[in-house]
Amino acid sequence: MDNNTIALWVLASLALVMAPGAADAYEVGNVQNVGSIHGRVSFLGSSKEPLHFKVEKNPEVCGQERSLMKVESRDGFLTGAVIVLEGIDTGKPFPPQTYTGNLPGTGEFRYLGGESLGLHVKTKDCNFGPFTGVIAANETVQFQNQDSIKHVLHSFVSKDTRGKILRTVHNQDLQPHDEIVRVFPSNKMENGVVVRIICNRHDFMQNWLYVVDNPYFAISDQEGRFTIDHIPPGTYTLLVRHPVLGEQRQEVTIEARKDLQVGFAFGDE
Amino acid sequence: MTRSIRYLCFIFIVGSLGIVYALPPAEGALLDGLMGGVEESLGKKAEEKGERLVIGNFYQAERPDSHAPIGVMQDHTHNKGEFMFTYRYMYMYMDKMRNGTDNLSNNDVLRDFAVTPKNMTTQMHMFSAMYGLNDTVTLMAMLPYVMKEMEHQNRAGANFTTNSSGFGDTKLAALWRLYAFETPSIGSHRFHLNTGVSLPTGDINPTDNTPLGNNSLLPYPMRLGSGTVDLLPGLTYTGVRNNVSWGFQALGTVRIGHNQQGYKEGNRYKVNSWGAYRWADWISTSARLNWQQWYNIKREDGQLQTTVGPAQIPLVPTADPERQGGQRLDLMGGVNILFPEFMGLENHLNVEAGAPIYQYLDGPQLRQAWSFWVGWQMVM
Repeated sequence: MDNNTIALWVLASLALVMAPGAADAYEVGNVQNVGSIHGRVSFLGSSKEPLHFKVEKNPEVCGQERSLMKVESRDGFLTGAVIVLEGIDTGKPFPPQTYTGNLPGTGEFRYLGGESLGLHVKTKDCNFGPFTGVIAANETVQFQNQDSIKHVLHSFVSKDTRGKILRTVHNQDLQPHDEIVRVFPSNKMENGVVVRIICNRHDFMQNWLYVVDNPYFAISDQEGRFTIDHIPPGTYTLLVRHPVLGEQRQEVTIEARKDLQVGFAFGDE
Repeated sequence: MTRSIRYLCFIFIVGSLGIVYALPPAEGALLDGLMGGVEESLGKKAEEKGERLVIGNFYQAERPDSHAPIGVMQDHTHNKGEFMFTYRYMYMYMDKMRNGTDNLSNNDVLRDFAVTPKNMTTQMHMFSAMYGLNDTVTLMAMLPYVMKEMEHQNRAGANFTTNSSGFGDTKLAALWRLYAFETPSIGSHRFHLNTGVSLPTGDINPTDNTPLGNNSLLPYPMRLGSGTVDLLPGLTYTGVRNNVSWGFQALGTVRIGHNQQGYKEGNRYKVNSWGAYRWADWISTSARLNWQQWYNIKREDGQLQTTVGPAQIPLVPTADPERQGGQRLDLMGGVNILFPEFMGLENHLNVEAGAPIYQYLDGPQLRQAWSFWVGWQMVM
């Protein structure tokens, strides 16, 4: 067998190995006649009380007591629901966005955007960021610790919205004022819907990041509102996910240059 | 050691290292993805209780009992990139001769032998390091420095003492994560496989001055290593629920071939089970049962004097390869103290002491009276 033949075999093998991944990957491209969706997520259940935690480790940095609001609603509308539009392969770039955690922590999820999601988790005041967010498989995620104490970053992936079965992805020390970069590989993230991140040292630090593979997602704001724009025309599945309340979905048809209004309503879990 | 056995050892070591390095990027425990039915069943039960099932939740350093009692080694795996350095000191005291389960007096032994051991102390300084190579494999290396002292009495009533000291055998191991799962009501359960080799760096020709002459070759119990490459297979299970933790470990030492002196130490098998209670975030206490069985020496060291005088009186039981085996069950009690973020690291100070509650020896042999361990572990 000569060198050319060997090279062809190698290239063919590589193509076979890489083909499925390449077919699934989202690509940024120019799409004409785009439409948009906007709507609100209602919460019709009884209002929830936050969980309270007595801080045992590092109260000098984290405070003596912390609380965690898992179902946050105002005037009947739900904050922090993750809305995802499935099945889009080509379209707009990932938008740069920043979401800040609830006080007293001021950690943030910063999405750099562009060709990929580009998630940076900036931990501050014992807070990774808001209770919910998004993450992409096979991308590097930068975890930065701006605190003067160590956190132990433990991440899990689950195949269901509420994370009934969680599988460890990374379990890693996050040293004071240090940063680490970790990939959430596709073999561990297979069929994964959500990634939960916690700190093994501070049990009030827990967040849920829903897996997305395109930039057509939104997180409902404090009035339950969301908007997704620059959507290529077509029929898609629109999902709304919440770690406690679960998942709802509906078929939506996006028409060129039109805005579609939708609504979701959750009751008690 | 014959050439073929050396080749076998070489292939085993290179093969083991090859497996470790060929597997990356290792992405988790070996049984991940193969336990679908178990996970489904556990997940359903957890859901019925309103709980979550967590898979792959391995090592956490934040508990005083996150490590087994200090006398247990290779009891946990580390997360990727994590280092742990350990210093252990062990003191073991042996006194009185025993045959089977019967204690013997010095005179009992001296009826059949020219010399009897009276007591023995063994001290070990052990330096070890563990490193989380990836999410599957944790590597471990350990080098001990050993000091032994044995007091004897001969038929004339004269006492003498022999000493040996130096580095012991070097142990290299790879710990393979098998599986871990956890729910709040059933606690967390972790399994890993122990594989390793012991390299013959310990002296098997120690000498000291004895009534037989200066620089006499010391018998088997005074030697600092086995002289052979030994395989160290094993299996470890640990569990935690609320303030209670427990574990079980079976470890073997399987000798390969014969050493340069022409003999082979008997294989040794060890089963440990322990339980610990966490009284506070920083302190836990433990109880441990340690069952050991070890076998007689195969062949013999041809250079070791075994008889004395024209009547060929057996010299001393410790020079008889057929009087080295035995079984023992030790009961140990320990304390683990956690010093979190001391010098910026997780530090564990662990102490353990205990004594045999059952001892059967292919004697006459010195019985073990008690042992004491203290160790300092730094996780970074």
